[in-house]
Amino acid sequence: MATETKGQSTAESLRKKRTYGKFRCHNPSCMERIQPGKGEKTAKCPTCGMEYRVHWVNPTLPRIRGPVWDVNRKLADAKLKEKGVL
Amino acid sequence: MALNRKIAYIDLTTGDVQTESIPLAVRKKFIGGRGLDAYLLYNHTKKGCDPLGPDNALIISGGILTATCASATARTHIMAKSPLTGMLGSANMGGFFAPELAWAGFHHLVIKGKAKNPSYIYIHNGEIEIRDARNIWGQSVTDAQWAIRQELGDEEVKSCVIGPAGENLVRFANVMTGVKNAAGRTGMGCVMGSKNLKAVSVRGTMDIEIARPMEALEYNKRFIDQITSAKVSQTQGTLGTPFIWGATNSWGGVRTRNFQYNQCEYSDDIEPERIDEICEETMGPYHMTGCFGCQVHCRAQYKIPEGPFAGKYEEGPEYTSLGAFGAETDTPRALTVLVGNHLVNQFGMDNLEVGSLISWAMELYELGIITDKQTDGLDLSWGNDDAVIEMIERIAYRKGWLGDVLADGGIPASKKIGKKSFDYLVQVKGMSNLHSDERATPALALNVATASRGSDHLRSRPAIDLYHLPEEVLRKIYSNPVAYDGPLSSEHTEYIGKPWQVFWQENLYMGVDCLGICKYHTVFLGVTLPSFEEWSKVLLYNTGIEMTPEEIWDAARRCNMLERLFNLREGLKRNDLEKGDMLNHRYFDEPCRRGAVDVVGTMIDKKKFIKMVDELYEHQGLDKNGVPTPETLESLGLKNEPSHLL
Amino acid sequence: MAKILYIDHEKCTGCRLCELVCAVSHDGISNPARSRIRVLKWEAEGIYIPMTCQQCQDAPCLNVCPVKAISQDEELGRVSVDYDTCIGCRSCVSVCPFGAMNFNTTDRRVLKCDVCDGDPQCVRFCEVKAVEFIEADEVAIRKSRKAAQRVSAAGKQAAALEAQL
Repeated sequence: MATETKGQSTAESLRKKRTYGKFRCHNPSCMERIQPGKGEKTAKCPTCGMEYRVHWVNPTLPRIRGPVWDVNRKLADAKLKEKGVL
Repeated sequence: MALNRKIAYIDLTTGDVQTESIPLAVRKKFIGGRGLDAYLLYNHTKKGCDPLGPDNALIISGGILTATCASATARTHIMAKSPLTGMLGSANMGGFFAPELAWAGFHHLVIKGKAKNPSYIYIHNGEIEIRDARNIWGQSVTDAQWAIRQELGDEEVKSCVIGPAGENLVRFANVMTGVKNAAGRTGMGCVMGSKNLKAVSVRGTMDIEIARPMEALEYNKRFIDQITSAKVSQTQGTLGTPFIWGATNSWGGVRTRNFQYNQCEYSDDIEPERIDEICEETMGPYHMTGCFGCQVHCRAQYKIPEGPFAGKYEEGPEYTSLGAFGAETDTPRALTVLVGNHLVNQFGMDNLEVGSLISWAMELYELGIITDKQTDGLDLSWGNDDAVIEMIERIAYRKGWLGDVLADGGIPASKKIGKKSFDYLVQVKGMSNLHSDERATPALALNVATASRGSDHLRSRPAIDLYHLPEEVLRKIYSNPVAYDGPLSSEHTEYIGKPWQVFWQENLYMGVDCLGICKYHTVFLGVTLPSFEEWSKVLLYNTGIEMTPEEIWDAARRCNMLERLFNLREGLKRNDLEKGDMLNHRYFDEPCRRGAVDVVGTMIDKKKFIKMVDELYEHQGLDKNGVPTPETLESLGLKNEPSHLL
Repeated sequence: MAKILYIDHEKCTGCRLCELVCAVSHDGISNPARSRIRVLKWEAEGIYIPMTCQQCQDAPCLNVCPVKAISQDEELGRVSVDYDTCIGCRSCVSVCPFGAMNFNTTDRRVLKCDVCDGDPQCVRFCEVKAVEFIEADEVAIRKSRKAAQRVSAAGKQAAALEAQL
């Protein structure tokens, strides 16, 4: 089943829906879109509370550099306790 | 014409060389590259052949589109029976070798026998010569290549070489070209070493006529735009493959301390952005380099900034090196990663296998299963940077008891070490897992368990499963070119529909490997990149072969089935922990301890996992034991294998 | 004023796509030996330098040609070969100081960059813009801007060092 429409391939038509200036939360069950302030170095997910350090590939393309380690560790420890995993 | 590229059969024992054309009918069935390699391997080796014996066939190839006007057709594929797993040996690399091989007149080389003395093969515009390599034996990967250029008096010669690890028959020695392009996995360099073959060098200036040149050129422009406009390609072209490591570590998908943790914390010093800074500091602002015809340019260049190797030029480190010498061994220090990466490249070993085995040994050391006696006094504690660097060299040169034992690969080593060491060895089919942790992602766990060459992410990983695309978008991608109307879930924690995703990716990756295009130019990390529909056109414009997307899909299925047949012939059994489609118990009974909040505490449900394997087998046309049904073989035209068409 | 090919080798990733598209667009054939642009490499150090015809104002190839087959094309700013007149003596190949006059052993004729009649394919396909097609006087402006940046950076560095003292 080829899904080509108006000379565009599936991939090409998908590309049209892209957003700039945002990234998705790395918590895989959250995946909330986070919009860091221009040039900001950290960003907090409004939904799950994870905090990230931000790296700007270029002025319109931010990406998550990594978690804010101390917050990350605290959240993980709390979750481990909640789930009863040692 | 791309289609008039030949196969050369080279016997190193007798020095006999024969060349043969590839009939169009065979092309349509197996296309080229990895697919045709699988056919040649199945037909030119006998059941149970010794991987290190003269009867093993070492096959080096380019894809059908190699060196044509299609984007990034740089990939070289190498196949043989693996001395690491005893099953399918298969490895793929970028660089400039395969295009040069095609310009020299060949698409496939089938090398058998064993040379009396260290030798290398030189191929120049259709002519093949076996030459003495005694004076380059023992040299590092790069020194050997430059020495060959000097001997032949031609700076444009491209070589596939082995380093000291291949010569010392380290079971996971790789074959390399250039500074760092490595056909890394399954020990293809060990096979070359066993044949006394130091290198295969090529130089070609023969025309490859393009079937419809202007259309090929214009379509290539569109293809490239499609690739370079993807965010993922832009990031990759800036930070290189470490960007994947950064993202994966951020949510908790990186194997750390063998398999104790799933995130390397406080690893700022080896984050992609830090590596990028070091590259910029040592090489300048434009420090990315690319393989032949590629506009993604994902390979970074750097010089080692300090220490005993200060000033050495190197490429990478790729994300596997970050995992292998940073996370797994719990040594998240840039210098360790950069030096480790440099050493494995010079010695010619699979960085991934080396890092995995060292971290396994470190865990055994922590548990007291091995002690200072086995390590000859080396302190293998977690986080000991010097010990990691020392072990790399010990493995390459088989130095000390442990170096020698680990050089034989994980399973043989576990037998020598004994006790419960095997339980801690994270492997599938005898090949170590890469440093990714799939406990939170059932689809990815299914991929590593069932990959044809052992635990591996480049055979069938549905990486986009983690993007949580809307179900209809996911379905659209996975219904092309063959409609899928079964269940599907956007949720990465689910087991629903994942087998279809793995099955689809398996065929996609086989397709791209047959064509000779890089996986970063298809639906691997980016959803908007080209796949079957685009390939059909690229193939037509460049070679004149008319194949619909469905026909390419069928050919990919056929080639995957050949790999399956090979593995079954060499002993694959579904639930066997050493030779099966089964994961280490730690996936099922040790929960993730770190990472994003929703990842913490997750692991794979064994019952659901087994059901996924059942379902995958169904899609593939295999029975419950993982053996193809007669109907499947009939429908794929594989009922009479080996059919010896070539 | 005619445009010229401006090569910034620092940006080159060494992928050689320019060689491929050059050969395919001119001859319909993939073969770097047919390319009018070539990427020279020092792989041990990671240095890649694309080389092509400079379209010299006082072109040695033009001067040496015994049958006057080579001429200046003012409009496109290029030096071109008239193959009907060319006798294939290769004097131009030996005299070119840049090695930009090539000889194809299959077709047995010389080949050089013709800036694709004003739409150079190497430029069109080079994503990193290591090869650009710009007005000749623009080159000098760019180079001075780059040099000025270096001077300014060095100045700042010196100031910072002084401040530390």
